[in-house]
Amino acid sequence: MPREAEPSLNEREFIHQALREQTRIDGRALDAFRELRLQFGDERGVVDVRLGKTRVIARISAEVVAPYPDRKFDGIFTITTEFSPMASPAFEVGRYTSDEIILSRILEKAIRRSSAIDTESLCIIAGLKCFFIRADVHIIDHDGGLVDASCIAVMTALQHFRRPDVSVEGENVTIYSLREREPVPLSMLHHPLCITFSYYDSGEIVLVDANRLEEQTREGEVIIAMNMHGEVCQISKFGGTPVDALVLLNCTNVALKKVQTITKFIQRQLEEDMRKRDVGGLMAELSAENER
Amino acid sequence: MPLDTSTYALSLLRLDGRRWNELRRIHAQISTQAAADGSAYLEMGNTKVICTVSGPSEGRRGQGQGGEGGKARIEVEVNLAGFAGVERKKRARGDRRIAELQHTLTQAYTSTLLTHLYPHSTILITLHILSLDGSLLAATLNAATLALIDAGIPMSNYLVACTAGSTSFEESDNADPLLDLNGQEEQELPFVTVGILGDGDKVSVLVMESRVQMSRLETMLVVAVDGCKRVREILDGVVREHGRNMVEGAVG
Repeated sequence: MPREAEPSLNEREFIHQALREQTRIDGRALDAFRELRLQFGDERGVVDVRLGKTRVIARISAEVVAPYPDRKFDGIFTITTEFSPMASPAFEVGRYTSDEIILSRILEKAIRRSSAIDTESLCIIAGLKCFFIRADVHIIDHDGGLVDASCIAVMTALQHFRRPDVSVEGENVTIYSLREREPVPLSMLHHPLCITFSYYDSGEIVLVDANRLEEQTREGEVIIAMNMHGEVCQISKFGGTPVDALVLLNCTNVALKKVQTITKFIQRQLEEDMRKRDVGGLMAELSAENER
Repeated sequence: MPLDTSTYALSLLRLDGRRWNELRRIHAQISTQAAADGSAYLEMGNTKVICTVSGPSEGRRGQGQGGEGGKARIEVEVNLAGFAGVERKKRARGDRRIAELQHTLTQAYTSTLLTHLYPHSTILITLHILSLDGSLLAATLNAATLALIDAGIPMSNYLVACTAGSTSFEESDNADPLLDLNGQEEQELPFVTVGILGDGDKVSVLVMESRVQMSRLETMLVVAVDGCKRVREILDGVVREHGRNMVEGAVG
């Protein structure tokens, strides 16, 4: 299997030295994110997220299935991650690296377990029919910050997605196509986002949104998922050099601010996209004229 | 189905009769398996874990020997017995939860053990979970620490772990922190698992999987760190007792 090239000792030393002087190799401040760009697809629920050079595509799809027998009143929601060899030579198709396991577990804990989607609203007839919402995350380019970018991608895509409307009459379910009825947005309970902190010198220097080179040279990481109301949804620090408990508490304060700005940014982008889609506004919709 | 812990506010006693700051009974033994280089058996309440360590030894073929940069490579295998829980469950081999647990243990011990002393070798930690009643990550970390000490692999300090929870998710009403949650409490309440290196408050492992107000986090952390110190004393006692027995056995 091909291994990723490791940074040389000189590179490591250079990065560390620069960090001790409060400078990052790409000139950002220690607590600055890279430029975040969101691009929506033509279809609903497709989002292309770029965080610096990292690029992640998320796509949401819905189908109608029978619910799990032990969860009759809940719909089904799954997140699958796909690491393409296009992103990094270290990724292989069909082989699960620990990176991939960690990414999918953290997305699962941050979004699914914290019940960001109200799965009960996906139920159509208890025990018989429910919506199966599937989020596919594809890593297209890897330059660090995969967890943060993937989480932004999934959360944005979920808010962008519209599921077909349904009506129930007794045992009969009608699922309306996009032409028949306006599709409805998913019911979301809150909007968690992940912020990754990388630290050096046993917690003396803490960075947010490290790029690949900084990730390779760091001593450890802490991934915190929060929503903008200050609820922590998940914290993961899997080993790494021990740091003071106070540093970790500080991280949650920084994470809250970051989550608030990113959530607002996503909201603005979504509104802008809505305006683009809604050409002509209400009048165009009500008009009886058609193209001939 | 979540259990009702609302009686806590009335009696200040938890479901199993403990107060907020009481640990469950910890019982540990060292050198339980003759065949392994190091082994330990640990009970934290009804969570029972057996751990064996083999190595440092030559790694398995085809996996490349040793880790990166002339350091030992650490492999962790966790086996959750089918009879460990309340219901018998057949778990798929590629269970992500177990994979995450293995990853956590590997990462935690890679930075705790002095791996640079054993280049080109592999240290294999195997854990069997015989009974599961909460604090899984904490119990596996504690058991692995004891087994590694038994195997005589140098490490910078004890890595001990403990969980702490809070009686409420909400910010508004006043909630008490709880130490060392059992399985029922874990299902219902928010909790963190904290792994501490040494007797200071240097946090090596911190895992939280539930949703909780950030203001709750501080008290939970403080209680968990304090719990870790008490766990460390207990484990240290076990190691010293074992050492005394060995010396007496050699003399007598």
